[in-house]
Amino acid sequence: MSDILDIRDLTLAFKGHRGLTEVLHGISLRIAAGERVALVGESGSGKSVTARIILGLLQETGSARVAGQVAFDGRDIMAMHPRDRAALRGTEMSMIFQDPTSSLNPTFTIGRQFAEVMHRRAPRLSRTACNARATEMLEEVSIPDPARVLDAYPFQLSGGMNQRVMIAMALVNHPKLLLADEPGTALDVSVQAQTLRLMHDLVEDHGTAVLFISHNLGVVREFADRVYVIYRGRIVEEGATDAVFHAPGHAYTRALMDAVPRITGVGLPEVPEVSDAFLAPMVRHGSAS
Amino acid sequence: MSLLRINGVSKTFQTAGGPVHAVRDVSLEVAQGECLAVVGESGSGKTTLANMILGILAPSAGEIVFGGTPLTDRRSPAQRRAIQLVQQNPLSALNPKRSVGGSVRLGLDVYGIGTRAERWARVEAALEEVGLPADMRRRGPAALSGGQRQRVGIARALACEPDLVVLDEPTSALDVLVQARVLRLLNDLRRKKGLTYVFITHDLAVVRNVADRVAVFKSGRLEEIGPTERIFSAPEQPYTRALIGAVPVVDDAELKLRNTLAEAP
Ligand SMILES: Nc1ncnc2c1ncn2[C@@H]1O[C@H](COP(=O)(O)OP(=O)(O)OP(=O)(O)O)[C@@H](O)[C@H]1O
Ligand SMILES: Nc1ncnc2c1ncn2[C@@H]1O[C@H](COP(=O)(O)OP(=O)(O)OP(=O)(O)O)[C@@H](O)[C@H]1O
Ligand SMILES: [Mg+2]
Ligand SMILES: [Mg+2]
Repeated sequence: MSDILDIRDLTLAFKGHRGLTEVLHGISLRIAAGERVALVGESGSGKSVTARIILGLLQETGSARVAGQVAFDGRDIMAMHPRDRAALRGTEMSMIFQDPTSSLNPTFTIGRQFAEVMHRRAPRLSRTACNARATEMLEEVSIPDPARVLDAYPFQLSGGMNQRVMIAMALVNHPKLLLADEPGTALDVSVQAQTLRLMHDLVEDHGTAVLFISHNLGVVREFADRVYVIYRGRIVEEGATDAVFHAPGHAYTRALMDAVPRITGVGLPEVPEVSDAFLAPMVRHGSAS
Repeated sequence: MSLLRINGVSKTFQTAGGPVHAVRDVSLEVAQGECLAVVGESGSGKTTLANMILGILAPSAGEIVFGGTPLTDRRSPAQRRAIQLVQQNPLSALNPKRSVGGSVRLGLDVYGIGTRAERWARVEAALEEVGLPADMRRRGPAALSGGQRQRVGIARALACEPDLVVLDEPTSALDVLVQARVLRLLNDLRRKKGLTYVFITHDLAVVRNVADRVAVFKSGRLEEIGPTERIFSAPEQPYTRALIGAVPVVDDAELKLRNTLAEAP
């Protein structure tokens, strides 16, 4: 029972002009302390909303109807006061958002935003100490010129630089749980590898658990201990990374694996018709962990 | 014939901390109907180059020639319609106050594409082509997933019936099945309508399967450019080799190719 995150039967619907749109149909997912778990699947299947529920953000959105159990470190996130949930964000759990512009403030310099994040954990940290620590973190994510980046506004940085800034900010307070939503999409493969190594070390050194959301199955294979596959708001397969990659059991997982473009240049994959088999019951691989 | 010619183009940004040389003396050509991939280091000037092709930024030096005519920062509506951009960052690319269908329709209205009566049908068809249900057009961008927004960006660019599309990480938020569908759509349009693409991406496996030629960037410079086949089998620059040697892969044939490149001198 050392789960840092335990989600059971989570459902989500959005209220729109034409009634409710159901998005999550009862998903269950758990992450042990220090475990690296990947969530992969279809675009629009519910990965980012799941992360936003864990963070306690969607519960505060008027149009969202959230139900089910979400326990973080033994605490019931669903029953928590919004103020207490807010206190967890950026300290005990942090998130790398899929879209850097949605979490970086366009009107403040990176240095100022970095200090704000550090002050959530250590309110008295001096300006020089903040700067030194931020510089160190930016170096760790392969930012070649940290001084320039700390003085810059987000629009003055490239897509991948903003993404690395967010990664550095998410790691600086050593959270217990890191929610990483497509953290490497704007990074070249060398920087991506470096960043993954950094996340890996963090997990080892500080026992941080990671929920890793990614469409890049090659990266998932290298990074994750365990994988959940999601399709249209349902988990369709779960298991140790090796098991899922070597013996994908669900039709959707198999279609996904077959469609990964290869650097050997065998041509674009065929796109299978959406099949009823994609809606078949979940496949669970023997509980290895 | 080359549709796009980039002649000795540089871009320097003046910032509080001094000048930033984002693009340094880059020259390259893109033929009509070609797909040129632009890959390389993060921060190497790819998006800056895209913005110059679109006329969003003016080069500090050099010129950009499109269809034989040098482009200035005052472009005719026809020139603007002819070159479309799919932005790297889908959220900032879409107006939060407009429905996503409205965003797609805007281009049709501005450039007078189709009759007024048929424009909504065109919007819905454009969305369906990228795998989005037609009725999603009424939603705002905040009510879409990352990959759905990215596809709206692609639908919007294609709906303008451009000649050249600059795609800046157009499929980074898509699962591989939806990605394959979108890439096939782009290929079909190239074949049927002779569209030309500048395809910026970090995904080398995608490059291997869609591009005719590849341009490799590092620190604002063009490191190397050549046919896709050659870049992957015999990269000339150590940087290119390192890049391909670091791609995360899923099968053994790929692993073998990657290791050969990583081991080569
Ligand atoms: N408006 C600006 N003001 C100052 N510097 C800028 C501006 N826009 C870009 N830069 C700088 O120019 C360089 C190139 O940025 P660009 O966005 O073109 O990179 P990129 O190759 O697209 O990278 P990525 O793969 O990370 O998206 C970076 O060092 C960036 O900080
Ligand atoms: N505010 C909203 N109102 C209505 N539907 C919404 C809203 N926000 C998200 N959705 C829908 O919920 C579904 C799940 O969205 P989510 O962002 O979790 O997808 P995702 O799995 O992260 O996809 P991607 O890989 O494309 O980022 C999507 O189909 C999306 O259209
Ligand atoms: Mg998402
Ligand atoms: Mg860019």
